Amino acid sequence: MIGRIASFRAALKQAHGLPWAAPAVGLLAALSIYPMVFSIKVSLTGQAGGFSFEHYLRLLTDRFFLISVWQTVIYSLAALTVEFLLGLTLALLIDSLTRGKSIFRAGLLVPMLLPPVVAAVAWRLIYNPQFGVLNGMLKMAGADTSRLTWTSGEGAAMISVILVDIWEWTPFLFLLLSAGLQAIPPDPIEAARMDGASNWQILWDVILPLLKPTIALALLLRAMDLMRIFDQIFILTQGGPGFATETTSLYIYRTAFRFYNFGYAAAMSFVGLLLTTLFARGLLRFMRVS
Amino acid sequence: MRALFVAFITFLTACSLSSCGKSGPSLVIAVNAGVEGSALKAAALEWAEQKGIHAEVVELPYANLFEKELLDLTSHTGAYDVVMLDDPWFPRLAEHLEPLPKDPDSDFVGPALDVCRLPYKTGAYRALPYVGNSQVFFYRGDLFDKYKLGKPDTWQHVLEAGKKIGAGEKMYGYVMRAAPGNAVVADFMPLLWAFGGEMFNSAMMPSLTSPEAIEALKFMIELGKIAPPGYTGFNADEVAAHLLQSTAVMSINWPAWIAAMDNPAKSNVVGKVEFAPMPAAKNPGIAELGSWLVAVPSGTKNKTLAFEFINWATDAERQKDAAMRGNPPTRKSVFLRQDLREKYHSFPVQLQSLETSRPRPRIASWNEVENAFGIYLSQANSGTLKPEEAMQKAELEIRQILLRSK
Amino acid sequence: MSKVLRYFAALIAFVYAVAPVYWLLTISLKSEVDQFAWPPKWFTFTPTLQHYYDAFASGSFSRFFGNSVIVASVSTLAALALGVPAAYGLARFAWPRDWAQGLSFWVLSTRMLPPIVTIVPLFLMMRELHLLNSLAALVVVYTAFNLPFVIWMMRGFFAEVPKELEEAAMLDGESRMGALWRIVLPLVRPGLAATAVFCLIVAWNEFLFALILSQTESAMTLPVGIASRVTQYEIKWGAMSAAGVVAMLPVLIFASAVQKHLVRGLSLGAVKG
Repeated sequence: MIGRIASFRAALKQAHGLPWAAPAVGLLAALSIYPMVFSIKVSLTGQAGGFSFEHYLRLLTDRFFLISVWQTVIYSLAALTVEFLLGLTLALLIDSLTRGKSIFRAGLLVPMLLPPVVAAVAWRLIYNPQFGVLNGMLKMAGADTSRLTWTSGEGAAMISVILVDIWEWTPFLFLLLSAGLQAIPPDPIEAARMDGASNWQILWDVILPLLKPTIALALLLRAMDLMRIFDQIFILTQGGPGFATETTSLYIYRTAFRFYNFGYAAAMSFVGLLLTTLFARGLLRFMRVS
Repeated sequence: MRALFVAFITFLTACSLSSCGKSGPSLVIAVNAGVEGSALKAAALEWAEQKGIHAEVVELPYANLFEKELLDLTSHTGAYDVVMLDDPWFPRLAEHLEPLPKDPDSDFVGPALDVCRLPYKTGAYRALPYVGNSQVFFYRGDLFDKYKLGKPDTWQHVLEAGKKIGAGEKMYGYVMRAAPGNAVVADFMPLLWAFGGEMFNSAMMPSLTSPEAIEALKFMIELGKIAPPGYTGFNADEVAAHLLQSTAVMSINWPAWIAAMDNPAKSNVVGKVEFAPMPAAKNPGIAELGSWLVAVPSGTKNKTLAFEFINWATDAERQKDAAMRGNPPTRKSVFLRQDLREKYHSFPVQLQSLETSRPRPRIASWNEVENAFGIYLSQANSGTLKPEEAMQKAELEIRQILLRSK
Repeated sequence: MSKVLRYFAALIAFVYAVAPVYWLLTISLKSEVDQFAWPPKWFTFTPTLQHYYDAFASGSFSRFFGNSVIVASVSTLAALALGVPAAYGLARFAWPRDWAQGLSFWVLSTRMLPPIVTIVPLFLMMRELHLLNSLAALVVVYTAFNLPFVIWMMRGFFAEVPKELEEAAMLDGESRMGALWRIVLPLVRPGLAATAVFCLIVAWNEFLFALILSQTESAMTLPVGIASRVTQYEIKWGAMSAAGVVAMLPVLIFASAVQKHLVRGLSLGAVKG
């Protein structure tokens, strides 16, 4: 024990880089460790005060929590899949163009640069059943739009919200995958082409394997953000109608700030954090294996 | 160049640490971003100018206003000197509101004043009613006359008239708010009460599976059949829009929309819409109260000024001014004024509605209860759940909420 | 796929990406009658600046804009001031055991914390420090948000600069700090710029913390201001879209300036991280 402390002290002396990193680390620690500790304490405090596991127990039987987790999963999987496929397609497409690459790229990046609040507001306008341009255009094409209520219809709300996410964040995957594509050396592709491989084969057997680390990173980053999605849904539907688009973040927000139950909200956040971490580990492992 | 840059950065940092440009007494007022709030905002700016002080009006959307007020009041941050609150929020927020220094006078309409007391009807006054919102039944008087249907006095008559007129005029006989949450609950309560149901029994436990309650829900679904498709997502503006555009015959709505009905800029039905008290069924019709109150948080540092403002804003002269702008008053004398009665034909009905109105159940966890109840009601309307199932689930959920908040 | 087809597909994608933004722009410039007109008017309308006037001259949006500018710039500067030395420390010095890796990973992990976990404690913390409803609170929070990214990116860029350059300078009597400032930083200027722009964008766009930590308009930023116009019953479309357009302009301008470097920086960080 004393030996451990002594060797720790010695190591500390060797860490010449520490003074450089100390202020940054200090600020981060203050703003992450204290909140975590506080949250844990609050999650273990019953509504009557005093130590209690009641919040964690409630999680097991709370229908709404389970629904919100399910909805988060659906949202994340649907959005991630489409964003990845679309982003990859666009990356390959733009990369294959000979002229005007930067113009196309600039335009394609626009959605993800906007403040999510602005994007959500723009889509709320577009989705408005009576005056929005989406229904307006569909009506012009002859469709009956009286049932197309997009974000205010319980059935369509989730799809509508996912579509906005796809519009907004495909550029992110497009950007990362483009960067990855640019980093691929041209030789393996040349070699494969000279061997007579078709475009499909080149894509599948040469490009994709080389792109794997970038793909893994892109999927991981996006998945993490998807699971905590909040801003857009908050503006688009506030989790409604009813509970139709309530993801875990929104349910936690509602529990904390409308139902004034911080203890339960904290317990939910921790379980949510746990599930997210497990999922991330799983994803990384899966990518390493395949 | 570099010096300029450094100076700019220092300025920005200084600005962020201090609060650039605030001096003299000021009052911070939190209001609802919407029709109701704009009346109070106008009053606040007028008062501030008169008194020569600075009034900062913070406008926030409904849900957000509640969250901010809840957070400010419970953490005693004193960010707001005056708060505007919807009466269902009162039980939750009341303990953090400063009791009024002196009791309000008797000119205020009874039910509107009762909700300002903690405990309900008997305790100290902690708020003053500002917007006298109690539901009114909107209907196309011209069409009722055309088909010789008299008046919408019972719900059964409403349904039949709706079907008849709807078929004859190719309109929707009825339109309602059925968006999950606040909207659908607000439209359901008058039906529930008229059919003899109650949300809570004498032991303060939910009684939604009573035959009367289920009958009320079934009737609501019947009404839904003659309503525009998608009504299960409607809120007040969609309902008003259908009436204004002459696509629906009748609805329940708040008095805030009365002015729009006769406004040629917004309405296709000027002069055609009439107003009536809530239809009856087994019981006489009862309107749901939804008044907005003004109060002073106990955490504020400007109590005297704040009370001065709310007393000023709710006095008869100011209420008359606000009424001219379309704000429903809360004082009997204002309702009885000749000039206002000429402008608003609906005033007698509004006064009657307000005097006989009922508030929503006064429980601190109402927000959560309404949230759950609203989800199940909406699912019953959209057909996802059968009425009995919806009520059973709602009752179970509400019971759990009540037990948790003990 | 034939060339024409590919360009056509790229064009469709381009339009799909930009159309909603363009639509927002048109709403902000149309009179209310035109806004609700059917068929929708994409190009054939007379523009008006009324909504911009309503939002900024007579409305509170100029205040929100100013707040956003202050908060974004100061927090970016702070993040760089703290993060660049930290990245340098991690990249250049030998660390005992695997502390460098562990520290980097921990720093990155703070970025993974869902905001909802930290928001209530931070609210209470700011209340205790009497920083509630102040721009300073947001500056502190956003600095912490951006630090992991700054450290991650700059570490990658520093690793690309050969050590010899600083070592030569130090042999000539230059201090470590001096070497960083005078020799290394100028070399990584593009990466630094890209990092700074990214931090600005993150701080500019942030919503949840700005929403909870602000109570009156003196502390509200643009996203919060815009969200507060989305009311229960009606949305003030004109003013809101005008504010939205102004909210997105700085981001688009900055991002286009450093587009190339952003891509490079991200891929570098990806490879090293």
